[in-house]
Amino acid sequence: MYTFEGIDENFKFIVMDVDAQARTARAFIESPEAGLYRKIASRDDYIDNLKTIIENKCYARINGDKTLDPAQLNKIRAIQVICVNLERIADFLVNIVRQMGFMEDQAFIHRYLWRDSFDVIQESLGHILDGFRKENMSKALSICKAENVLDKLYKESFDRIMLELKSGQNIQDLVTTLFIFRYFERIGDSILNIGEAIIFAIIGERIKIEQFEALQRTLSKSGFSESVAEIDFKAIWGTRSGCRIGRVGRHDSEANPASDRQSSIYKEGSLEKIRQEKANIERWKSLFPGLVADVFGFHEDEEEGKGAMLVEFLQGCTLDEVVLTSEEEFMRNALFVLEQTVRHTWTATLRPGTFATGYMSQLRKRLDGVLRMHPEFWRLPQALGRAVVRSTEDLLAECEAVEQDIPAPFTVFVHGDFNINNIVYNHETQQVHYIDLYRSKDYDYLQDAATFLVSNFRMPIFEPALRGRINLSIAIFHDFVKSFAAERGDATYEARLALALSRAFYTSTRFELNHRFAKEMFHRSAYLMEKIVDHKDAGDWEAFRLPENILYL
Amino acid sequence: MADEKFIYDSLQDAESITQFIATLRDGFENGKISLLTNGEEIVLSPKGLLNFSVKAKRKRDGESKLSIKIAWKESRGGAVIPGTSPIRIES
Repeated sequence: MYTFEGIDENFKFIVMDVDAQARTARAFIESPEAGLYRKIASRDDYIDNLKTIIENKCYARINGDKTLDPAQLNKIRAIQVICVNLERIADFLVNIVRQMGFMEDQAFIHRYLWRDSFDVIQESLGHILDGFRKENMSKALSICKAENVLDKLYKESFDRIMLELKSGQNIQDLVTTLFIFRYFERIGDSILNIGEAIIFAIIGERIKIEQFEALQRTLSKSGFSESVAEIDFKAIWGTRSGCRIGRVGRHDSEANPASDRQSSIYKEGSLEKIRQEKANIERWKSLFPGLVADVFGFHEDEEEGKGAMLVEFLQGCTLDEVVLTSEEEFMRNALFVLEQTVRHTWTATLRPGTFATGYMSQLRKRLDGVLRMHPEFWRLPQALGRAVVRSTEDLLAECEAVEQDIPAPFTVFVHGDFNINNIVYNHETQQVHYIDLYRSKDYDYLQDAATFLVSNFRMPIFEPALRGRINLSIAIFHDFVKSFAAERGDATYEARLALALSRAFYTSTRFELNHRFAKEMFHRSAYLMEKIVDHKDAGDWEAFRLPENILYL
Repeated sequence: MADEKFIYDSLQDAESITQFIATLRDGFENGKISLLTNGEEIVLSPKGLLNFSVKAKRKRDGESKLSIKIAWKESRGGAVIPGTSPIRIES
């Protein structure tokens, strides 16, 4: 636990004061007395002040202390969120007490389960300090769950009060009671915010409570652990594909590095996607056992349409890290291992027979995404004197027609999303591993080739030496693809690669906020399509030559 | 190396512009355009992929403008020199 001079102390007090406020409010409802009411009112002022003081200190610390590491920063942010919500809870408690003044019969409320609501609120308040200071995940989770319980209690009271209102009696007391339960429900919302803030302080990641519950189910099924509290949940990255990925390891793994081997990745996403990935992993596993991660646990939530999966965490670094940060020798070696692996998987899964590719239709599917980000990446027909500029629609339509004339001569089992950062390289074992496999299928090998090449290109790195490294990675892999095509007698590969690259350049722009760089990729995509269309009249696709400099920045 | 720059502002007519464009055209064909200011020469080598943009405007008051921009990176197009990567970053 990091300590922050002053803030810690104030934080402890505000938690304790709101807790005391809850106790006093409870006593007041049991038997309303003027003395208790005054106590509540003056403590509310004090809590308001304390909240302002803590907020000021948090902001001053965040802005003024440049030495804070991200974990400390997260903790201060969490304290601020918790205090704001505690103050809100204190206000709701005051409102509840005030509502008692509107009761015609102050004992009326005892007909309802108001004490149950207080039990839940007080229990949650009691977990805040321990949950936060000891980074106790199960306490944080139980705080979060309070909201659900308070919601249920509110719903039950609401339904009952609605029914009783129909009798036409005790209207004022019924409405007042309803207001009180409504405040309990709103206290629940604030409690959930507090629980989520504690989780954020522990794992440094915003995560919704349902995701944690899915995790817990997956973990207990996998026999990984009975309790989330024993697990060190580190979110390491969120992918763009809408999956949330985190790394899960046992708490003792730091003390015992060997147990790191048991680390795993937790993935959650749409049921369809997670199911597909699981099936693909199994197929990869049966073909090339060491290439992909093991699935430890799998959980389906049909109702929510969500799936969760726990897969082995593969040791090593992603290939983009290798290209950008390692010594050249190390990088060349990694690319050599990759080349061997790709050649092996392509050869072993090769099925002869022509196959119609869908590069242009893949591009069309991403049009919306691209145009949302860059509306101008849709050229309208233009003419410069005698020179006619083809519209994007024209280019797409013409290339679609060409694509039908040049089917792939065979298929292989492709990764399907062969980005450089979906490849993990382990230097010790001299192996590469594939991750993120939900798009794997039997397809043209140039799908993976083009995706890999453009995923290198699109790294937004322009420093000449580093760009040289990226260009080298591209050159090495492109040479390999060329030689594979030649060995297999794939005569139209250059034309198909042009189409596949055109797709990859175009669709990559949807992630690129740097407009100049995005435009560079859009232009390359259009240039390749123009070259294809220009060649169309000649008709001999074996003679088409890919302008290779399109691959390098 | 410091940036090299060539600036030329003038008044011409359609006939003299045609001559300039013809010179430029030869330059692009040969991959070499030479520009001279007071004895200092800049030699441009437009090869490979060239960014090309044309902007035209005609205002209501008759003021008209046509600008043509051609930009490229001369090291572009396989300027990979394997084995000579000067950087070394320890991970």
